Amino acid sequence: MTSTPSRSMTTARRRSLTSLVLTLPAWLMIVVLIMVPIAVGFYLSLRNERIGGFVPPQYVGFENYRSEIANKVFWEAALTTVKIMIIGLVIQLPIGVGLALLLHQSLRGTRLFRSVLLIPMLLTPVAVGLMWRFMYDGDLGVINWLLETVGLGRIQWLGDDLAALFAVVLVDSWQSIPFVMLLTLAGLAGMSTSPLEAAKVDGAGPWQLFWYVILPMLRPVLGVILIIRIIDTYKLFDAIFILTRGGPGTATQTLGILNYNTGFNFLATSRAAAIGIALTAITIPLYFLWAQAARIEP
Amino acid sequence: MSTSERRVWIRALVVALVLALVSVGCGSSEDTGAGDDTATDSGETADTSSDESEAAEEEPADAGDEATAGEAGAIKVFLIPSPSAEAIKSFADEFTADTGIAVTFEEVPYGEAHQKQLLAYEQGNGAYDVAQFDNTFLAAFGAAGVMTPLDDYLAASAEYDIDDFSVGQQDYGKYEGQTLGLTLSTEPMIQWYRTDIYEELGLEPATTWEEYYSNAQAVEDAGLGDGQIVGFGPNVSWWWMTLVWSFGGEVYDDSLQPQVNSPEAIAATEYLKSLLDVSPEGAVSASGDDVTNKFISQDIGAMIQYSGYYGVTLDPESNKYPGLLGTAPMPQGSADITHLAGWNIGIPADSANKDQAWQFLEFVLGKSNAKAYLESGAAAIGRKSITGDAELTAEQPYLLQLNIPESSRIERYPQLKVWPEMDVAIVQHVSDIMTGASSVEDGLNDLQSTLEPILAAENG
Repeated sequence: MTSTPSRSMTTARRRSLTSLVLTLPAWLMIVVLIMVPIAVGFYLSLRNERIGGFVPPQYVGFENYRSEIANKVFWEAALTTVKIMIIGLVIQLPIGVGLALLLHQSLRGTRLFRSVLLIPMLLTPVAVGLMWRFMYDGDLGVINWLLETVGLGRIQWLGDDLAALFAVVLVDSWQSIPFVMLLTLAGLAGMSTSPLEAAKVDGAGPWQLFWYVILPMLRPVLGVILIIRIIDTYKLFDAIFILTRGGPGTATQTLGILNYNTGFNFLATSRAAAIGIALTAITIPLYFLWAQAARIEP
Repeated sequence: MSTSERRVWIRALVVALVLALVSVGCGSSEDTGAGDDTATDSGETADTSSDESEAAEEEPADAGDEATAGEAGAIKVFLIPSPSAEAIKSFADEFTADTGIAVTFEEVPYGEAHQKQLLAYEQGNGAYDVAQFDNTFLAAFGAAGVMTPLDDYLAASAEYDIDDFSVGQQDYGKYEGQTLGLTLSTEPMIQWYRTDIYEELGLEPATTWEEYYSNAQAVEDAGLGDGQIVGFGPNVSWWWMTLVWSFGGEVYDDSLQPQVNSPEAIAATEYLKSLLDVSPEGAVSASGDDVTNKFISQDIGAMIQYSGYYGVTLDPESNKYPGLLGTAPMPQGSADITHLAGWNIGIPADSANKDQAWQFLEFVLGKSNAKAYLESGAAAIGRKSITGDAELTAEQPYLLQLNIPESSRIERYPQLKVWPEMDVAIVQHVSDIMTGASSVEDGLNDLQSTLEPILAAENG
């Protein structure tokens, strides 16, 4: 009789140990691949290290952060990042959700379209950037050729501030819409049909069904999509690097491009680390929002 | 297999096929080179505004085989993928046979090459005995004292024969009076033109910038194509600095004060902007490589570009106009200048095999092998014995442009550690001026303010 509690404690301890052992590889990966680099990055950001500086680096406290905050270029890059994010979301969410609603119907050829529409998401951003750069070419690009064919004038897609910004958003959207569509489709597939049927019985039209029934039920999924896309925009680099390198001028210079220039072009390692840590700090609250969105019950 | 399973398999195959086709499509578009920066590898000219062919270059570096030490030791050579690097490698076996010194190579793409060298030199453990580098890094290397001065070797070497270079070109690898790098390629900015178009219109290559513009205008007026091309995109600093110097201005003075809003710089920038009217529309966003690719694939009367791109024009698959491209010296403004670019190669200060390294450099780049070096596909080195060789110049007439007259002042990329930051600032501001986002004067005033702290940091 007296042995029962101790046995159950041993079992509980054994279970807890087993859980620890089983999750240890994952924890190790998180620590080695995420926590340690962030810690090293933070340490680096408090110094004045520079590749090829050939002088012993010193601790400078938050000087790198202070100088970046005072740097007009940093804020311009932040604004550009936000612009790309907002315009991108305005394009990506409605189209992605619209396509998902369309593909959710059991129409002929839906499955084929669903597969084809996923292709952009599967391509590497560098290849996508190169492909679109050829298409955007002011003289030989297929987009300008099409515009001329239908009687419209040429646009210097990569040579004009506004057009370049739009060009970047378009490429990002082309790759991201399938992601939005896929997640929305998953949300639609997991949705209970009873409220829809009840609404139909009550005489709700298609628009009312969408606005008052489907959209509220999709809210958690849309929240997750929104947060993931915001995080993705902060990380957006490859396509911009290939398409415009942040130009013309600084029209498409995002925080990612600024970070690259600072670290790998100017070789200012510590300044780049400070920008990187700032970017991480911006995205951490978004993670909590994402976690919250994922928990919301429809 | 049931019908539904078969359907699933068929669907999977269709998706795989579509993906494969798309991948092949993307791959082939990368290979066309039209507008693709990978052309940098064909031309020698280094892209100084941080390498734009980053994506294409991210192929694994050719680490070369770890050679066993020869009878007389072994050296390790650091190269940056380019025709010059290929030419250097082609001499290795012969060199080892002659000297008993084994040679191994490590190739690192341009985008990471200088960072890797700087990290290796900071560690100071003699990782490399010979290293290729872009002339824009000469100042950084010189200031850090990481390259061996070669002047004593040069003074004693009849084989290298430094006097075979014109006086200006002898200084190409000098930093504060010491030669830290030999010339690995000589790439002046020159004038290129379409001989068929110029002949049809009775035009001669321009000798002044006014003539250059009027020639371009004549080509446009005749409807034979676009007048000329330079790049207004991510490498606009190449042409902007050339024009500033040519118009008698300077980017900064001896006390490192920027001079980019001087009347000469304003005139040069206005001229550059006026060239937009006689350029293909796409030139506004064209990079350095795009400019050459457009010139050899579209009807364009003339181009101002580094001579190092000659190699690109030899590719019959990209050049639509073989045999129709002429070269001439760059037009002149109020100052007679030559904007000179190209690679350097030197011996890192931490090398433990400096004498063997010099033997290798002397063997590959010396006078005896100069012709063989050129014929092995490298970008030309402006030795007098090469530019004065009638047989060679008959085959490759552009070599004459490498014979820079002593009257012409040679201008190089600013020999400053902060050059990468300056370059980005110049590109961003001049680009704004070219797209009309700011006026010439406002843009240059902004650039002046931006450059002040950057240049002040040079000595900081």
